[in-house]
Amino acid sequence: MMDSEQIKQIIADGLRCEVLHVEGEGEYFQALVVSAEFAGKNRVQRQQMVNNLLRTHFDSGALHSLSMKTITPGEWSVLRG
Amino acid sequence: MDVQALIKEQVTSNPVVLYMKGSPRAPMCGFSQTAVQILQACNLPLFFSVNVLEDPAIRDGIKVFSNWPTIPQLYIRGEFVGGCDIMREMYHSGELQKLLEGIAAPD
Repeated sequence: MMDSEQIKQIIADGLRCEVLHVEGEGEYFQALVVSAEFAGKNRVQRQQMVNNLLRTHFDSGALHSLSMKTITPGEWSVLRG
Repeated sequence: MDVQALIKEQVTSNPVVLYMKGSPRAPMCGFSQTAVQILQACNLPLFFSVNVLEDPAIRDGIKVFSNWPTIPQLYIRGEFVGGCDIMREMYHSGELQKLLEGIAAPD
């Protein structure tokens, strides 16, 4: 089993994030990931970038699900209004 | 047939395929249930689904097929669309309804 801090650290180590929030526990986690590295990537590719960082934990069963919002800083500023 | 070839055949011979835990009538996971509800809300009451809990080879193979670690997974016209988060986003933006235009439920 993982905790949200571990997940956050793994994402932060692999991806330059402007905003990174991870919450949840047990089998269910949610993340908000704002990164310029998502620019030019579609939804699937963005989630793959995050999931690939966590791949060994998905494969081992330590991580069951991570719902996420993956957006660029530009999209983030539009969302915040 | 190896499992990757089987998956390829499933997603190309059916216009919509949902790989899920359980069946549309009895989903075994909240995310799979949400995926079913989203498709139904797109006027697609019936669609081809694969219960990965009944087939461990597909359960593992589908994660490799699209480099996607979780279930459910939605395919439309042979293309991987995404999992539950993406389905939800595309439903709210209307993109999913657009992708499903012209696709009728199987007999």
